[in-house]
Parts: sequence; structure tokens; C-alpha cells
Amino acid sequence: MLELRDIRLSYGNSQILKGVNLSVSRGDVVSIIGPSGTGKTTLLKCINYLARPSSGTIALDQIRMDYRRADKPTVQAIRLRTAMVFQQFNVFKNMSVIQNVMDPLIVVQRKSKEEARQIAVQELERVGLSDKLDMYPSQLSGGQLQRTGIARALAVRPDVMLFDEPTSSLDPELVGEVLKVINDVAASGMTSLLVTHEMQFAKKISNRIVFMDQGVVAAEGSPDEVFDTPSNPRLAQFLKSEVAFQ
Amino acid sequence: MFDFDVLLPDTLSILSAVPLTLALAATIFVLSTIIGSLFAFIEQRRVPVLRQGVVAYKVVFKGVPMVIVIFLAYYGVPPALQFLTTLFGLEYNAHSLPNWILLVIALTACVSAFQAEIVKGALNSFDRGQADAAYSLGYTGGQMFRRILFPQVILAAIPDLANSVMVIMKALSLGFAIEVIDIFAQAQLTAALNYYYLEAFVVAVVIYMVIAYLVTFSADRAEKALRLRM
Repeated sequence: MLELRDIRLSYGNSQILKGVNLSVSRGDVVSIIGPSGTGKTTLLKCINYLARPSSGTIALDQIRMDYRRADKPTVQAIRLRTAMVFQQFNVFKNMSVIQNVMDPLIVVQRKSKEEARQIAVQELERVGLSDKLDMYPSQLSGGQLQRTGIARALAVRPDVMLFDEPTSSLDPELVGEVLKVINDVAASGMTSLLVTHEMQFAKKISNRIVFMDQGVVAAEGSPDEVFDTPSNPRLAQFLKSEVAFQ
Repeated sequence: MFDFDVLLPDTLSILSAVPLTLALAATIFVLSTIIGSLFAFIEQRRVPVLRQGVVAYKVVFKGVPMVIVIFLAYYGVPPALQFLTTLFGLEYNAHSLPNWILLVIALTACVSAFQAEIVKGALNSFDRGQADAAYSLGYTGGQMFRRILFPQVILAAIPDLANSVMVIMKALSLGFAIEVIDIFAQAQLTAALNYYYLEAFVVAVVIYMVIAYLVTFSADRAEKALRLRM
């Protein structure tokens, strides 16, 4: 369903992605793990072209694009079928919770206000924010902000959800409420890509784990293969340090 | 000493200059905000060549006293304009250009440099992650600007913009140098007729204070109203 081939990207002289391949089937929940600075987030942002690879190709079902000849209509087509949840939440600060979810539906999808509201109410209920509809971002906790971000992403009915370290900037006691929502989303059959440092969580919800190291996919496999019998020495070392850290 | 009897006639006389002063201030504010915003966008977008031009412009117009710029406009703009009109064969006597227009040109030129910094600061306070989120959801650049960036930037800029209005109000008194009669100049003229200088300037101070209060008050109100929705 989603296929990335030979993605390369550099900032200045430093190569961030050095030829990454990734393929995701419908309904897959794929977690991308690895040390900081290995390009996990950048890879995710290549999918919706927030990061711009110098070369490589993407295929999302029938939509195909060579990044060397990226064009607006194709980028837009991909963006309309994916939705991203950000590490820093990135909810719109000038809008209430429900407006955050409604706005893309009205502005981008040209839905009527009533229909947008209906969808927004439904999605916000799903993430447990029914009592916060008219609150503004400045009044919310990190966990509530991130759940708003998730509802906003779900509301556009994407084919693929992209979670970029969704709990990394949360206070520890708020991580649980967000993980629970992501778990529900993954369990509902939504195709999901998740960049995360929550190893236990990744192991539990994913059907595939991708280990990235120094700009390439260094290992991948089922959660059991990756976590219990790591064949790659760098992966083994990384898991050890993560466990020691936790 | 202080003569209370002249206060009322003086007040009426000086108030006659308020409409022109406010109109000039509003014009300069609008023009300088538009030009300043343009400058800020050029800097933000790092437009080559133009960006260096903006930086140089700001150094010059923030550094040179406004009164000098006013005189430069007074003596420089009409001949320059005359040269252009002759060049294009237009029938226009540029030396008949009213002084208030020259004052507007001079002060707009100066204040634009300051407005550029205000807008730049407000733009920098905008959290770009929201733009990423909007684009990832399929917003166009224009939609992102209208729905998300502009409402936040304008709110961040309100206190400083209100400040600019007062800076402009006060700078207009320099217009006396080229015979544009604002509140201060009218106070001067009124006093010259009856020699009650202290009284006339006290009246001017009170009028300036009332205007300052109204500007600050409405800016605070506007900010609060917008902040509530944010």
C-alpha cells in the first residue's frame, strides 16, 4: 500500500537518509525505532513532503512520485490521504479544540459546518475529549493537546496515520492516556506508522518493527524477532541501552 | 500666574487641530504598517538582494532623526517629483505639493523601519510547527496564512502597534517645522495670540493624554477579546 524506495536526504553536508526502503501493507502497524538523530522523524516527514528528499520514490496505492520531480498535485494527493501526529502537538493556538478538528474538514475538504461538527464531535469523543470541545490550547495539558492532534488527524479519514514521537514531549504521567488512544487507533485496523522510544508499547501494538541506524534501515522484523532475538549487533546494543534507561 | 479663564477658549482652539492630527496619524500608521509588513516578509523569506536592501533601509531610517528626514522630504521630494513629471511630459507643478503630504511621506519612511521590526518579532513568535501541521493536512499557503498565521501574528503585534500610533502622534509635532499644524503647533499658535503659553501647552498635554488613553484602552480591549478566543 505504501512503498518508499531508496530515499536520500541531506541537510548541507550531513546525509540524514542514505537510501531508505520501507513498505507497509494495509492494516499494518509499523513502529520505527532507533537512536536519536538517525532520521526516523525525517523519514516520516518525507512521506507527506514536510521534509524534501533529494531522491527516491514513493507509492501510495495508485499515487506515485519520484522525489526528484515532485509536483504540487501529487504532494497534495498524498497529503490528503495521510495524517500526521506531531511530537510538539502543533494544534492551532488560535482555535478551540473542536475548531482544530473542524477546520481542515471545512477548509480543505470543503465539508459543511454541520457535517464537520458532527465528525469532530465523534472523533473527540473517541479520544476522550467530549468535555473539552470549547477549550483553547492554552487551557489544556500536553496529553489533552496531543489527543486533540490525534482527533484532528483521524477526522480527515486518512488511509495512513503517521505518529511522530507522539509521547516524547509529554510529562510521564500523561503518556498513558495518549498511548491508550493510539492503541485504540491501531486496534481499529488503521494503517499506522509510529516513530517512538516507547519500546514496550511498540512491541505490544506493532506487527512489524523497523530499526533505523545512521540513516538506513539496519534491521526489521516482527516484534519478537527484533526485541527477543536481535541479529544486528547495533540493534542489540541499542535495545540494551534502552532497557537500562528504562 | 496660571489663568483659568483662557482654558476654555484655548481648548476649543487647540481641539480644532485634533481631526487633522488624527487623520495624519491614521494614514501614516496604515501606510507604514503595510510597508513594514512587506519588509518583514522579505526578511523572513530571505529574498535575495531585496533583503539586504531592507536591512540597509532600516539602519538608515532608524538612525537618522525624523526632523532631518522631514526637511529632506520638504526640500528633496518636490524637485525630484518635478524631474519625473517633466521626464514623462506631465503637466504638474510638483512644488505645489501640500506640506502635509510631504510630512506623511517623511514620517511613513521613518516609521516603516520600526513597523518592520514589530512585524518581524510577531512573525518570529509564531510557532512554525502549526504551519507543518496545516500543510500536512492539505492547507495551501494562503489558507494557512489566513486561518492560522495571520490571526496569531496580529494578536502578538497589537501592543507594539498601539505604541507605534503614539510614536506617530508625537512625531507629527515635528511637522511644525514645515508648517503642518497639528495639536502641538496649534497650541503654539494659540498661545502666540494671547501670550498664555503655559495654559496652551497644559491643554495640549491633556489632549495628548486623552488620545493616548483611548488608543491604549482600545488596544487592550482588542487584545483581550482576541486572546479570549485563543
